Order: sequence, then structure tokens, then C-alpha cells
Amino acid sequence: MIHLGFVTQALLFLPGLGLVLSLLITGTRLVRTYRQGRRRRLAAPVRAVLLELLCAPEDEQSELLDRIAPADKRTWKALEPTVAAMLGKVSGRARTALVLLYERRGSPADAVARLRSRSAARRGRAAQVLGRLRHRPATESLCRLLDDRDREVRLTAARALGHIGDPVAVPHLLESLHGKRTVPPAVVTAALTSLGPDAVPRVAAGLGDPAPLVRAVAIEVLGVTGAITRTPDIVRALWEGPETEVRIRAARALGRLGMPDGLEPLLAGLRPGQPVTLRTVAAGALGNLGAVAATGPLKEVLGDADPHVAGTAARALLRLGPAGEAALREAAVGRSDPRAAAQARAALAEAAVGSTRRVPVEVVL
Amino acid sequence: MSPGEDGPVLVHAAHAEEWDGVLGTLHGLIAVCDTAIIFYFLAINSGYLVLILLALAELVRRLRRVSFVGYEDAAASPFTPPISVIMPAYNEAAGITEAVRAMLLLHYPVFEVIVVDDGSTDGTLDALTDAFDLAEVEHVVPEDVPMRGEVTSLHLPRGGPVPLVVARKENGGKADALNVGINLARYPLVCMVDADSILDSQSLLAVAKPFSDDPLRVVAAGGVVGIANGCTVEAGRVVDVHVPTDLLGRAQVVEYLRGFFLGRTGWSKVGGLLIIAGAFGLFRRDVVVAVGGMDPDCIGEDAELVVRLHRHLREQGRRHRDYRVVFVTEPISWSEAPSTLRVLARQRRRWQRGLTEILLKHRRMIGNPRYGRVGLVALPFYVLFELLAPLVELAGLVLVPLGVLIGAVDPGFLWRFLLAAYAYAVIVGLVSVAVEEYAYHRFSQWRDVWGVLVGTIVENVGYRQITGWWRLRGMWDALHRAPQVWGSMTRSGFGPPQRGRKGGDRL
Repeated sequence: MIHLGFVTQALLFLPGLGLVLSLLITGTRLVRTYRQGRRRRLAAPVRAVLLELLCAPEDEQSELLDRIAPADKRTWKALEPTVAAMLGKVSGRARTALVLLYERRGSPADAVARLRSRSAARRGRAAQVLGRLRHRPATESLCRLLDDRDREVRLTAARALGHIGDPVAVPHLLESLHGKRTVPPAVVTAALTSLGPDAVPRVAAGLGDPAPLVRAVAIEVLGVTGAITRTPDIVRALWEGPETEVRIRAARALGRLGMPDGLEPLLAGLRPGQPVTLRTVAAGALGNLGAVAATGPLKEVLGDADPHVAGTAARALLRLGPAGEAALREAAVGRSDPRAAAQARAALAEAAVGSTRRVPVEVVL
Repeated sequence: MSPGEDGPVLVHAAHAEEWDGVLGTLHGLIAVCDTAIIFYFLAINSGYLVLILLALAELVRRLRRVSFVGYEDAAASPFTPPISVIMPAYNEAAGITEAVRAMLLLHYPVFEVIVVDDGSTDGTLDALTDAFDLAEVEHVVPEDVPMRGEVTSLHLPRGGPVPLVVARKENGGKADALNVGINLARYPLVCMVDADSILDSQSLLAVAKPFSDDPLRVVAAGGVVGIANGCTVEAGRVVDVHVPTDLLGRAQVVEYLRGFFLGRTGWSKVGGLLIIAGAFGLFRRDVVVAVGGMDPDCIGEDAELVVRLHRHLREQGRRHRDYRVVFVTEPISWSEAPSTLRVLARQRRRWQRGLTEILLKHRRMIGNPRYGRVGLVALPFYVLFELLAPLVELAGLVLVPLGVLIGAVDPGFLWRFLLAAYAYAVIVGLVSVAVEEYAYHRFSQWRDVWGVLVGTIVENVGYRQITGWWRLRGMWDALHRAPQVWGSMTRSGFGPPQRGRKGGDRL
């Protein structure tokens, strides 16, 4: 049982604690309001110069930079969030000016040094800054960070490498897909895609990787970047790959590449007996391909037992032009297969109102 | 004394002894009950405090990482997983147009909005048809999850690229409407929102982030639901956050803060999150389909789905570290809270009934090590401190005074203890307010802070006791299986900018 003395002491202590908490709430608010006001005051004069810098012609930028860059630490701290926000919104000359401003402040060098910090939050922030500045010399350090013990730091490093755009990062990004400390495929795919055509040969090297996820991501990236010369490799992956995930990505990539070589393997992927997700993606990819030769096989699956395969096939037929539309009209009035007729009528009705419910990316997580 | 006189005396003495025995037993029983109630009071508030402190640790972590959270990249990336936003609607004509318009303007790369009109009789569909120039189209609805009410028509916007689908179905309840939405959804993630939910523009980006960052493990994510009463709403967005001026609203703000925001953040931190509010939750569609969608027989369908997900995944052999149900602290969805006692009573009865039904349905999981932390920690906590709380609190209101009357409890001890206990509960509320003020400081004015401080007292003294009675009735409804009453929803709708919007009758 609780002693009376304890309760009495608690009774004296708790109101005191309540008062402390109330003061803490009030104090936190007061300090924040004061700090915000102070930052506004400090940043106000420099902010006007900053706006001038963004609009200035190249020959006047240096003088304006000379006025902003020497700002003391407190003023820079107050101004930096605005500079960072602007960096993400502007391009061309204005962006170059902001990057120069950061460089004059020594921010990239500081950030590279902070990549080795013991604090995960600091490492993450540093990686973010380097990515935002597209600081190429930091590529190697950021590649090391792909194996960081903190997941969010790894993700930020991968994104930063994508922004920097140095193809040297490709093998490291592909490697980060497997092992103990991984980066999610979608983040790696986005980073690799933003590296551009220069990275294609190194990405294509991933097609021979023993890890299925690496092959799947490499295929996806090649599809998105329009690497049509790699179509035979992707076709092979769809024909021969034992892993469904790799085959799904291959089907999607072939749809995006739009090469005639993709027709046969996509038709094979559509056939009954294949995994449902692969069949659905293959149906959508055939629509993207736009090959009239796919009309018959797509029409055949309008009555498929799986409504997702059938629905995607119906919308794919619409993308094949007059031949596909004619096939849909024929199926819509057919009495032999009510399921196919219903799917065809639904797709035609959507097209008639100009609002086709097409899955734009045929996604699977 | 003659032998003849001994009999009645002995009988009398025996009766007195027996009476003393009964009184003694009663005395002892009430003393034990009172002690249990006292410890219960301490335990429940300490439980909340622990959850708040866990939430604080998580919030500190997230705030330190906010600058590299990656929303800008996610917003621009074609690889961000697309989302189907499902909005069930029943007699929402007043506000549905603005709500859908606001949803369509959310900041997210690829998403669609599916409105499921659950047999409304107030012209909800007509309002949408006029606003978005809808045309009825022939339809095929896959039956990935079972549906009760038949889809009678499907409507799409004419000519434009507006990613909107409106399905009209026979009335079958919210869970059934959600199931139709799940079947119509084209994308791998489904976001369930209430038709009166107001989402912040970055809400989808934030709630989808765990799925992008950890796609193999995250199966569901819930977001913070705030109270829209008193806030300034412009074009379907909350632009200025305020605390309602009425005591009922203030008490609910503190309750949402403590229980729904910080409590769930704490549970998420330890992997025991059981409730994702129906007002704003994101799920992997394939996993929802695998568990059979929403349960139309359960009133608390949102929480029931999460418990069923845990159950299903554990029974599939997945362990604590193999999957995650996450509570995201950043995004916010705003909902109207009840502004009258009558509506609040209905809401709480329904919530408690839902909780009781869920715990009865999944009773096998409670205390079962097979279900890990969910079975051993989260569910027993919900049974003890959510399900039984109204029973114990109201029993305390009867037994404690009775204990004083029969001398089982020392009155001097009792009044001191009661004061200390309520002070402790207020302290827990104040810690919640302090954590919010540190982390997000959403309330813009000083009078809001004052309002929320008043709310911490009202929530503990008066509000909890009143809601305790309604919750008890909710339990009773579940136990004797009273017919489900969905009630009507009266809303003021999302009109032009307004301050201090009247709380609707959200149920």
C-alpha cells in the first residue's frame, strides 16, 4: 500500500513540476519567437542582395558575391535556409551564382569533412548539401556512404550521387542493392536514371550480375533511359530469366523502348501459365509498343479469368489505334464471352469520354 | 440465565458474528478494490508517460533529419510508388466537391482519387457530376476483396486528364465502400481517407516515404490526425492552426495530442502500433487483398484491419523485424471533432464498441507469444488501459466513496491521493503539450497555448469521466450485439475561408 507520507510529498512535488512544465512551454515559445525575429533582422539586409544576385548578369555577380560571402556566421546561419530553398528552385546562371556563394563560404569542403562525422544526422545533412550543390569531387566519399550503418544516410547518399551525375558511381549504386546494408531499388533506379546516357555502359554491366535485383534495376534503368541498343539483352532476360521480378522489369523496359524485337517475348509473357503480374505488365507493354500484330493475342485475353490482365489488355488495345479499337468493338458485341464483352465495353466507354483509366507505369512494388 | 433464555441469545450472537464476517469480507474486498483502483490510476498514466517519452525520442530523431528527408526528390521522381486515394462518402453533398478538389491538388507525382458513394440520398453524386463534368461509363469491378453492396454505376470526368473515379453503390456501410475502392484501385498503395478529411499538401509524400525507404517491410503507415475545429481553412487546406474556444474542443485537442499523436508515435517506435485512423492511412494493396479487405461487420474497421494485418503476417511466419506498421509524425490530416456532447457521446460509444469487437474477435492474440510484441505488450495494454479503463474509472467513482463510508479507506489519505493522481494525469497532459511545442509548435498564437493548457485540466477532470460512461455503453452495445447504427452526418462543408468553423457531427 502507498504510504501517506509519499502521497503528501507527491502532492507537493507535482504542482511544482506542473509549473516547471508550463514555464518550459512558455519559455520554448518565447525563445523561438525571439530567435525567429533575430534571424529575420539579420537576414533582411543580405536577402535583398541575394535577390539581386539571382537576377544579376554574369559580370556583376562577382561583386555581389563579395558582398554576401563574407557575412558573419550568425548572418549566414540566418540566410542559409533561404539560399538552400532557392537552390532547389532556380537553374542556369542563378543556380551557378548560388553554388559559387556556397563555395566561397567553404560549405562543400565542410560538408565533405562532415561525411565522416559520428552523428548520422550530420552525415545525412552533409550528403544532402553535396548533392544539392552537385559537387563532383565528393563522389568517392558519397560512394563510401552507400555502406553507412544508418539507412537514411545511405538513401541520402544515393540521391546525392544521382544529383551529382558522375557515372563513376554506377557500380557502387548497383552494389548497394544487395548485402547487409542496402538501398531500396526505387532510390537506386532514380539515381541511376538521373546519371544520363553516359552511365548506360556501366549500367548495362549490371545485366550480368548474379544478384537478380541488380539485373532487375539495370534493366529498368536501361528501359527508362531509352537504351535501345541493349534491347537484345533485355529480350534475353525476359525469355531466359528464371526470376519473375527480373522478367517483369524486362517486360516493362521493352514496352518503354518500343523496339520491334520486344514483340515476341512480350507475347510470350502474356500467355496463360505465366505469373499474373508479368502477364498484366506484358499486356500494358504491348500497348506501349503499339504493334498491330499484338491485336489478336490481346483480344484473346479480354475474357481472361484475371480481371487485371483482361482490363489492361482492353486498354492496351485502345493504344494500338484503329485495329485495336475495331477488335474491341467486335468483342463488345460478341455473345460467346460475356467477360470479354464487358471489358471491351468498359474500355470503349472510357475512351468515348476521353478519360481512359490506363495504368501509366504498370507498377509493382 | 435459564437454558430457555440461552437459545435466542446464542442465535443472536451467531447472527451478529455472521454479519460481522460478511461486513469484514466486504470491508476487505472494497479495500482491495480501492487499492487496485489506486494502482490502476498510477499505471495508466505511467503507461501514457512512457509512450510520450518514446515518442519524444522518435521526434528528436526525426527533427534532426528533417533537412534530408527527401520530399523534393520523391515529388519529382517517376519511381515514387503511385497511390490510389479511396474516399468513401455517404450524404456528403455539402462538402464533397471541395474535399475532392483539395485531394486532386495534393503534391504527389502519380495518384488517383476514387470516391465511393455509398448510396447517398442527398445528391452527393449530383454535386460531383456538376463539379467535375462526370460521365457514366460501363464498368467491370474486379472482386479482389468481397463486396456486399453492388456497384450500380461508375463515373469518369469527361475529356480531361483528371485522375478521378466515382463509383456509386448500394448502401453497405463504410467498410464495404472501402472494399469497393480497394477493388477499383489501380495502384500498389491505397490511401484511405474520410470524405471530411483535410490533408496538408505534403501529406501523401510524407506518409508514402516509409514505403519508398523500406519497400520490402512496410505494409501500412498512418498519419497524424488533427482537430480542424477552430482552424482557418482556405481552399480545402488548413492554413492557420488554432485551438477551439470551447472546453469540449480543447479537451479533445489534448486527448488527440496525448493519445493519438504521441501515443501512436510511441507504439510505432516499439513495433506495437495497432490503430491507423480511418481518416488517413496508407496500405500496401496486395497485403490488404491478402487479408480479405475491410471487415464490414466490425464498426472499428480501420483498427481491425491493422490488427488483422499483424495477425496474418505473424501467422505467415514473419517476425517483428520482417515487417513494419509505421506511424508517420510529419503529415497531417485534419478532421472535424464533435462539438456537442450528443455527437461526442455517439462517437465514443461507437469507438469503444469497435475496440471491444476487435479485441473479442482477435482474443486469441492477447498475451500469445506467437504474436510477439503485439500479442504480449500492445494488445494487453489495450485491454487493460483502453477497454477496461471506463469500467475501472466508473467503478472507482462508486467503490472509493463506499470504501470511505465503511471505513475501508482513510479519508485523509484518499483526498490527498486523488489530488496527487489528478495532478499526475495533468502532468502527463502537460508533457504532451510540451513535446508538441518543442517538435512542431503548430499552434500559432499565445491564446492557443492557453487554450490547450486549460484543455489538459478539463480533459482529466470532467471529460474523461463523461466519456467513460459513454464508452461503457459502447462496450455493452458490443457485448449484447446491438444493431449497428451509422447515424447521420451534419457538416458545414468546406466553404470560403473561415475562422472557428463549427465542428461537424462526425461519427
